[in-house]
Amino acid sequence: MKERKAITFNSLGEFLIPLSRPLLAIVLALTVSAVLIWAAGANPIEAYAAMLQGSFGSVAALANTGVRAAPLILGGFAVGLGFKAGLWNIGGEGQIYLGAAAAAAVGIIPLPVPAWLHLLLTVMAGFVGGVLWMLAPAYLNAYRGVNLVCTTLMLNYVAGFFVSWLLHPPSPLAETDTHFPMSPLILPSARLPILIEGTSLHAGLILAVVLGVVLHVVLRYTHFGFRTRMVGENPEAARYAGIGVTRQIFLVLLICGGLGGLAGAGEVLGLKLRLFDFFAGGVGYEGLALAMLANGNPLGIIVGSVFFGSLKAGATKMQIVTGIEASLALVIEALTVIFVVAIGFGERVRLTRQKQKKSRA
Amino acid sequence: MDMNSISGWLQASVRLAASLMLVSVGAVYTERVGVINIGMEGMMLAGALASVAASFFTGNIVIAAICAMAVGGLLAILHAYITVSRRASQLISGFAINILALGATNVGYARLFPTERARVATYPVLSPPELRAVPFFGEVIFAQPVIVWIALILPLVSAWVLYRTSWGLNIRAVGEHPHAVASVGLSVYRLKYTGVILSGVFAGLGGSALAMADLGYFAPAMTGGRAFVVLAALIVGKWNPIAVAAACMLFGAADALQLRIQTFGAVIPYQFPLMVPYLLTIAALAGLVGRTAAPKTIGKPYDPEII
Repeated sequence: MKERKAITFNSLGEFLIPLSRPLLAIVLALTVSAVLIWAAGANPIEAYAAMLQGSFGSVAALANTGVRAAPLILGGFAVGLGFKAGLWNIGGEGQIYLGAAAAAAVGIIPLPVPAWLHLLLTVMAGFVGGVLWMLAPAYLNAYRGVNLVCTTLMLNYVAGFFVSWLLHPPSPLAETDTHFPMSPLILPSARLPILIEGTSLHAGLILAVVLGVVLHVVLRYTHFGFRTRMVGENPEAARYAGIGVTRQIFLVLLICGGLGGLAGAGEVLGLKLRLFDFFAGGVGYEGLALAMLANGNPLGIIVGSVFFGSLKAGATKMQIVTGIEASLALVIEALTVIFVVAIGFGERVRLTRQKQKKSRA
Repeated sequence: MDMNSISGWLQASVRLAASLMLVSVGAVYTERVGVINIGMEGMMLAGALASVAASFFTGNIVIAAICAMAVGGLLAILHAYITVSRRASQLISGFAINILALGATNVGYARLFPTERARVATYPVLSPPELRAVPFFGEVIFAQPVIVWIALILPLVSAWVLYRTSWGLNIRAVGEHPHAVASVGLSVYRLKYTGVILSGVFAGLGGSALAMADLGYFAPAMTGGRAFVVLAALIVGKWNPIAVAAACMLFGAADALQLRIQTFGAVIPYQFPLMVPYLLTIAALAGLVGRTAAPKTIGKPYDPEII
């Protein structure tokens, strides 16, 4: 009887501590950033009040937060799904570019199909673009054992330059007679619908959240999800249990690439309405941070993305009020991550000690 | 292409390679002690801003270089603390430092120079005019600012230290067999910290070279992935300081080539030479261009109790 009580207490602790870790990290990050704001000559309380107002203070502010969160959610999934299988997809940035390029390519062609089908095809093109970009690193990693981190990282820059090339004449994707490299406008039939009139909140957010729920269910309740988690937790045991580890890794990586592609497609079809060069600006890397904060959990990634999105939306308002560069949002994001990993070690030690105690008992 | 445009291209190649080579000096050490430092991109960027700001306010180029190295070194201490002492993920820490540096330099730059772009003196050219008049070499080597000379000499010094001193042997050993190093009474932590801090110091100096070798100003996000080019050079150059520096030179030449294509036009699009370093690295990793072998414990945390 006594023992059972102890176990419930432990599992409650194990449930609460992963939650409290990011919260503590956020508080610490905001505290350090407050010092930076003060050092930069502004009032931290005033700055944070402006951020809060700019991110959650009105319908327009909420819409802004949503717009910023959408690509982060999908970019986070692109990394987080890999985490579940023990894989590090650092190539979110590149997959975003290629997904966006593929979506733009389909989105500017007037197809003789109904509008909903055009949109569907365009979104799917975004997924396929990401998958294709992941093909080489996925194959090399799954079948040849080549380091995934290095290949996906290197391909990010290739993707950036590739898209830049696509946007310069004589490429068919390049708009003619412009000063800046960009694609022609996405046709209205291929655009993601606006959710709230007068804001730029588009259906990409819904797509992201729905995919998050799907991903959660797949990971938790399907054979595919079970195999994925097993490969992530113990590939040797998975192989022993008859799971095709190589094939599973290959498939999971391709889906990761596709999710990254969707993040890029959403930005082009919902917000920017054109493909620009170097538009991603680090969203792929922020996705990596989010996946780490949420430990790959899709619902956690959504919550984290809303937080990062609110920082970005709020920082714009803060810049208007206090004059401090909106990039401060990046500083707060980075500090949150740094504090989480710095606190994380203590937790791991605590857990291993607990395990040792248990095994001794 | 005539002789003049070739020497002009080579001059630009050496100048553009210089900042890569400076970063590569420290990059070799951090990976040799088993710590990947993706944060070098951010350390470079922070070093660039620090040196421009220091030069702007003091007017002293030596102080500027020292400030760049100090800022890079401080960020590297943070990276070492997270990855060596805390044993957290080296990739996460590195990317977090990049995001931190990007945000902080944007905020800092806008705060320090709110109205106009600050222009500062570039690193001086030390050679006498007679030497600079020497055909070809005058232009490619002697007309270069002093920081480029330092960048050309440092990889040689670095190779000598790494392969000819006992401390260099320790550095090489700690990334391969940290427990063996610990068993002879050396501090694994101290060696690892040193390697990581060196990478930050030289990344900062590389950033300073990027901003002040010939530009004389800072621009937000000006590093544009150059530290990743260095990571590519490490793989292609197999973690040997001189081979890595040679790879940096090659990648600098590709960079200079694309600038020329942008200016004068050519059959190939200017984006293609820019892709070369990355594609070459993937080819090297896939075993198409020789074999590469990273230090054995690279990316893994060191735990004295787990062998």
